[in-house]
Amino acid sequence: MARLDDPRFAPDCTITFDGAQVPARTGESVAAALLAAGRTIVARSSKYHRPRGAFCLAGSCNQCLARVDGLPNQRTCRTPCRAGLVVETQNTLGSAASDLLGIVDRVYSRGLDHHRLMTWNRIANRAAVAVSRQLAGLGKLPAHVVAPFPPVREERVDALVVGAGPAGLGAAEVLVSAGAHVLLADQERRAGGRLRCRLELAGDPPLAWVGDVAGAIARADGEVALSATVTGLWTDGGLCAVLLEDGPPPRLRLVRPKRVIIATGTHAQPPAFEDSDLPGVLAARGLLVALAEHGTVPGERIAVLGSGPEADAVAARLTAAGSQVARAGAAPLRAIGRGRLASTLAAIELADGTRLDCDALAVATARAPAAELPRLLGARMTFDAGSGNFQVSAGERGRVAAAVYAAGEVLGAMDAAAAAESGRRAAEGALAEAEADRG
Amino acid sequence: MGKAILCACEDVTLDDVRRAFEKGHRDIESVKRYTGFGTGPCQAKSCLALIARELLRLGATPTELEPFTARPPVDAMPLAALAAIDPATLPIVPGVPLSGAHGGAQQQVAGERGRAVTTPSCQRAPGAPVRAARERAGALAASPDEPASGAPRPSSPLPGKASIVIIGGGIMGLGLAYQLAKRGTADVVVLERGYLNAGASGRNGGGVRMQWTTPTMVRLAKRSIELMRGFATELGVNVWLRQGGYLFLAPTRAQVERLERNIKVHEAEGLRTRILSPMEALEVTPELDPSSFVAAAYNPDDGTVFPWPFLYGYAQRAEALGAKICTFTGVTGFRTSGASITHVETDRGPIACDTVVLAAGAWSKEIAALAGVSVPNRPTRHEILVTESMKPWLDPLVSMLGNGLYFSQSQRGEIVGGMGDPLEPEGVEERSTLRFLARFARAITTCAPVTGGIKVVRQWAGCYDVTPDNNPILGAAGFGNFLQLHGWVGHGFMMAPAVTELMAEWMTGGRPHELFERFTIDRFSREGGAAREDFIIG
Repeated sequence: MARLDDPRFAPDCTITFDGAQVPARTGESVAAALLAAGRTIVARSSKYHRPRGAFCLAGSCNQCLARVDGLPNQRTCRTPCRAGLVVETQNTLGSAASDLLGIVDRVYSRGLDHHRLMTWNRIANRAAVAVSRQLAGLGKLPAHVVAPFPPVREERVDALVVGAGPAGLGAAEVLVSAGAHVLLADQERRAGGRLRCRLELAGDPPLAWVGDVAGAIARADGEVALSATVTGLWTDGGLCAVLLEDGPPPRLRLVRPKRVIIATGTHAQPPAFEDSDLPGVLAARGLLVALAEHGTVPGERIAVLGSGPEADAVAARLTAAGSQVARAGAAPLRAIGRGRLASTLAAIELADGTRLDCDALAVATARAPAAELPRLLGARMTFDAGSGNFQVSAGERGRVAAAVYAAGEVLGAMDAAAAAESGRRAAEGALAEAEADRG
Repeated sequence: MGKAILCACEDVTLDDVRRAFEKGHRDIESVKRYTGFGTGPCQAKSCLALIARELLRLGATPTELEPFTARPPVDAMPLAALAAIDPATLPIVPGVPLSGAHGGAQQQVAGERGRAVTTPSCQRAPGAPVRAARERAGALAASPDEPASGAPRPSSPLPGKASIVIIGGGIMGLGLAYQLAKRGTADVVVLERGYLNAGASGRNGGGVRMQWTTPTMVRLAKRSIELMRGFATELGVNVWLRQGGYLFLAPTRAQVERLERNIKVHEAEGLRTRILSPMEALEVTPELDPSSFVAAAYNPDDGTVFPWPFLYGYAQRAEALGAKICTFTGVTGFRTSGASITHVETDRGPIACDTVVLAAGAWSKEIAALAGVSVPNRPTRHEILVTESMKPWLDPLVSMLGNGLYFSQSQRGEIVGGMGDPLEPEGVEERSTLRFLARFARAITTCAPVTGGIKVVRQWAGCYDVTPDNNPILGAAGFGNFLQLHGWVGHGFMMAPAVTELMAEWMTGGRPHELFERFTIDRFSREGGAAREDFIIG
């Protein structure tokens, strides 16, 4: 079973992956389509040529890079499927599944210190430089010159809200009701953030709320920009944000917002035990979105890592999807690979030494704040030993800089209802600051 | 198999982090540079906390667990997208400071420090008390009990005295410490305000070329490259020298004439530089647009290196030979007696010394001012970026004369490139601009159109230490025992191996090389001075 047996999720197109035909659904990510087709190895790592596949399924981890339609290093988890899309693995000798260069990982089984590699004599050293250059690097040059992007015109908006999850939606709601012209941007193809996982935890806003807020923004002459990544905030001539829209056709936008709400949420954190980078180890939230929207089921037996209400809900959703679900405890010792090449997940060894066979490990442990934008503006980050995560040092109502506020999970773990409330408070803060500036 | 991977982009393992920590790389900026974590396509989105957790387990302190300075963009951007921005719409003046921003990382604070007015005088201000000079320049750290910006504190004690104190732990300072120690003069202390590679030595593009305009500079560069070829075996650390050549593209006839003048010098010095037609240049780099230049100069023996490990190699060997490297130690002033400096004051206490060497790059002007010595340097920001990594496709470093564009491919496959901005004002400023991204993207996609599909993953800035004639400042200044080793205008990194060797020979009793007589600070008040170097990239 790789996809729920439900006519709503029936594949409607075919993509090619290294020449093989893979059934897919128009608009689902390439990474999700490959998972549904049982192709978990998408790439090879840069140094040891270890097998790699999608982990976060949300654009942050970059472990699923492949060549797509002649362009190198494309995140397959952010590339929507359409009929005829050509996907090729990179950085392999042979295929991704049986890359001959995987030998590097075995020869240097105890690791390779690149600082000291072959420094014995000049001849060996020159050889090391020459050979390692050939082994390094991921994709090959683009096959063609990409079309020029349309010229960028500066845009001005009252408020830019980055992230259309609960916090961003809460903020947008308040800003719109105060009459602000809002640009709500999200890098995903659909708004909703973690609500798209359908965890349906107690107190979660209903999914229909997402549509309500989007409608309110549109009625107030605002805009919800999807597949639109805010790639940075700069201070050239005052605060400006750049949006990269995937298209088609892709375009770049330069926005000068009067105020900014950063509701970028979190990044999935991969586990860090032996061989935990094996394909088949998947972030639970990304996996649940693929399950809810495209019926993707990564295996018959799934282990869930993590504890707490969210991990419980993840286990329940996967069980409801027909998988056999087991809990992986707090800190597994190692992942065990399948077959002779051991290149996809077959089992994990738990802390007590028992072996838990599984086709996939759904990681529902603590996520890290996606705090890149506040950090660009100079926000301090402190490490909290208790949660094992960094925390943004924000002021009242999430203020991180003049007219810039952070809201929701980027400020720390909180449930969706609390995140929405955090977004509302940030928006009120931004409005009050604007009022004070006018006064 | 059998590895615990923390940074999956660069395959950095748990053992790599432990090894870095054991070697003294305790803070996150240093661990990033030593292990390479966070330098790949995800820019540490997945691993920053994992690394911090491990460092905490190993014994790092909370201040050592500050994340590394965030660099734009936060998500990779194709150069073709950035080229759609008209840089003329983005002013050069830095934006309105964000009043709500906290202190932020040390580098950003550095950018806001005092900018003394340039005075061409090279004489010590008569009778000016050192303390007043310090106030004028803005003290580099407030006082010993107020450490700058919560920087990690070093654990080793500060020596109370040393024969030679070198200010600046960049390649110049560390290279000199190694060369001195190698010659038996190991009573040397190097003071570095931040971590190793915090300054321009850790921020440059790693280009090394012999294509200069004077025999002196050609010979220096030639010797440097020779030393770089033996660096890994002599010092035990790889620096990834790759001699893929330098290709200077000339867009006008006037620029071609410049190249032809250089070639005469190069021929006399035995270099293999030759002029190429656009079609011949395409044989070296087929991706160039031949209509963007009329001729090129190519020396196949120029090349690129990876800058960071030079500092590790020099520091490790210098320490093994007895020198002391004190990181996170800022200079706050000097004590003098007559025509000599007797002590260097730091935010960790004073060090008595016989000789002081100033090798602080763009900060040299501020520090010289603490001793009441005025140097005519103009620190100027220079911006640079790196792209996603690609399989090998570009052998030489390509430099376009006229607009200052340059780019090369690193050992790991990234395009590393920069471009000077004629409108850049003087000042120590290390923040990044969108304007640079737009200018660079337009220039490189015009020069090599296929690069439009390559994505930028990180941008940063460092400072060129510019002098009035684009030549360095060497020899004593102000005090008989205050030796200068700065003013290299963006090419100090490539010259350092040779220059520090010559300087150490001179300081340990050898004859002074002509450099240390020709490029003394009094040339600016001398009739004629030194000829202006006009072959500066960027």
